[in-house]
Amino acid sequence: MLKLLQELFRAGDATVKYPFAPAPSNPNFRGKPEYNPKRCIACAACTIACPANALTMTTEPAAGKRTWMLDYGQCIFCARCEEVCPTGAIVLSKDVELAVRNRADLMVTADFTLRNCGSCKTPFAPDKEVGYVIALLIRSGLPADQAERRRELFETCPDCRRHAEVMRRVENARLMEVRP
Amino acid sequence: MSEVATAKPGQAYVDAVRQSFGAAVQEESWQADNQVTLTVDLNSLPDIVEALYYHHDGWLSTIAANDERKLNGHYALYYILSMEGATKSYVVIRGLVPANRPEFPSVTPRVPATVWGEREARDMFGLQPVGLPDERRLVLPDDWPDDLYPLRKDTMDYRTRPPIAADTETYKFISTAGGGSAEVPLGPLHITSDEPGHFRLFVEGEEIVDADYRLFYIHRGMEKLAETRMGYNEVPFLVDRICGICGFTHSVAYVSSVETALKIQIPERVHFIRTILLEVERLHSHLLNIGLACHFVGFDTGFMQFFRVREKAMTMAELLTGARKTYAMNLVGGVRRDILKAERIRTLELIRELRKEVTALLDILVSTPNMLARTKNVGRLEPQVARDYSPVGPVIRASGHARDTRVDHPYCAYKGAPVRTHTREGCDVFSRVIIRGEEFHDSLAIIEYCLDQMPEGPILVEGFTYTPHRFALGYTEAPRGEDVHWTMLSDNQKLYRWRCRAPTYANWPPLRYMLRGNTVADAPLIVGSIDPCYSCTDRVTLVDVRKRTSKTLPYNEIERYCRDRTGSPLK
Repeated sequence: MLKLLQELFRAGDATVKYPFAPAPSNPNFRGKPEYNPKRCIACAACTIACPANALTMTTEPAAGKRTWMLDYGQCIFCARCEEVCPTGAIVLSKDVELAVRNRADLMVTADFTLRNCGSCKTPFAPDKEVGYVIALLIRSGLPADQAERRRELFETCPDCRRHAEVMRRVENARLMEVRP
Repeated sequence: MSEVATAKPGQAYVDAVRQSFGAAVQEESWQADNQVTLTVDLNSLPDIVEALYYHHDGWLSTIAANDERKLNGHYALYYILSMEGATKSYVVIRGLVPANRPEFPSVTPRVPATVWGEREARDMFGLQPVGLPDERRLVLPDDWPDDLYPLRKDTMDYRTRPPIAADTETYKFISTAGGGSAEVPLGPLHITSDEPGHFRLFVEGEEIVDADYRLFYIHRGMEKLAETRMGYNEVPFLVDRICGICGFTHSVAYVSSVETALKIQIPERVHFIRTILLEVERLHSHLLNIGLACHFVGFDTGFMQFFRVREKAMTMAELLTGARKTYAMNLVGGVRRDILKAERIRTLELIRELRKEVTALLDILVSTPNMLARTKNVGRLEPQVARDYSPVGPVIRASGHARDTRVDHPYCAYKGAPVRTHTREGCDVFSRVIIRGEEFHDSLAIIEYCLDQMPEGPILVEGFTYTPHRFALGYTEAPRGEDVHWTMLSDNQKLYRWRCRAPTYANWPPLRYMLRGNTVADAPLIVGSIDPCYSCTDRVTLVDVRKRTSKTLPYNEIERYCRDRTGSPLK
């Protein structure tokens, strides 16, 4: 009994003052994911990686719009999104206070414009993703004017590009045959 | 360790089976050096399982049923045995059940340990165990349709909610007690709590003569979910959530089953990091259970003190993984976060503090007179009952059987680590508490050893090949005992079948024997001593055998009676 009392006095107060003082935090903690739509290119890598389906994306070709959605109510704070994001648009913070009065407030959404294919005029990729590819080429050493010259290519949808490539090869083959 | 240095330690058992039942063995396949699957003739299966279990020191890990009609036109049953004789190995006995006649001879009359596995195979796959003594449903509720077997590949989507088939509860609680006993239902069934179970104690006056219980009220359908909705590398995050305490050990068992199936070479550093975290989990799990034992015997100051120091183990988990629970550390092929110098130093500090404080608290606990009086010779699990039912963890070790997966089948970095199997002969609640205390100190030593010996190197391998339909076993020693995952890959980056057996699943069936002969006031203490995922085992029915009366009590009432032992609810 005496030993127990000694231990109790030695240990003292074990509780923290939270919420009246900030909760003790750990630099390694994985908290609420913070999203920066300015950096996001709507590539959908995070929506594929998310094991809990907290991150989803819907595409409305008619409206030329893609919507990125994060539901904090479904998030499991695993940081797979942070791992796969090519632009650092989503980063886990230390924030643990997610309580809201309204379920809808747990939802974060961002709309992105789709780029229409230069050839067939149907939307095929987010505008920002096309811009990102060109910026990436410049970043990796290609002179800006050369990268800019390829813009037309990148603004063509894969179907039209495939079609154009086939036509080019057919034309080449025809020219070869014509030659003796 | 006196392990025989043969390349395949399971070979001896395969030879023994071939010698006695040569004609019955149809196929032999090796998943790893210590994992072999023997496909045998279905009618000889009970003989072979019995021979391995009782004549070759086999223990039942679990039974995995599988709908392999798409692969070979049959259902399959895998009886997974952990062989712990002269050589240690896993031996899996596989029987093929014809699709047009889904019946198989039950092993339960010979090996009682198989009872839950066979009941579950019937519920989930509609495979009838012929000769099974207990024909009640195990997993499915009473209002589930009769002919809908959830895990068959062609029955239902994981989102299907079938219409309710019955309005009445048809489950019969079974008692071996004579007509004179009374029934005590334990606690109200709380559908809002996360882990309800329904206990029925058959009592004569204050003494429990028999007990029965029903669980699976909150079956989450995780196996179905993982097989249909998730990719194989997303499953680790689901597996983390099987248990609110020992999720990491499940995720190690799962990823190692896939890694073994795909024959991925894991970097050494990964093994050490996983071992450290497995032991961190054991630290906080054991402290939680010791704290609860204090609570149940009315020593609430001890309960609070153990929970105070437990916080240091939680801090350690947060420091090393980024979360107190659900670490999200494992991927197939490695881990996602390294342990760096600053973290290592802080962890060692925390270990020193924990060692000092827990040693002092355990001394106080053992010298508390009430603790000894309440736990010695209470909730006895006789060694022979333990042998028959294959329980795991501190429960079996307290009944004199030396079983610890970390020692018997060393995985991760346990080979060479300072891990010992602690056994006691007391067979009672006290022995289980003491073993947890001893293992706590081992865990501290293992973490120190791993932090010291951890080699440099990568922490994740990528670029392995996903090979369809391979299968293997993954196993760990969770704080509560052996944890087994059996995984078969599909051909679509998903799993074909994933069978997970948490340690408490193996510890429930022998619980009724532990309750017999004790007083009603000790029931919560005994149930708590198997450290079940129990937080809300909320309902007790007390049945008085002599007066033939029955009375339902709220859980907090029986728990209060367990602590105070005054004002019996039976009067």
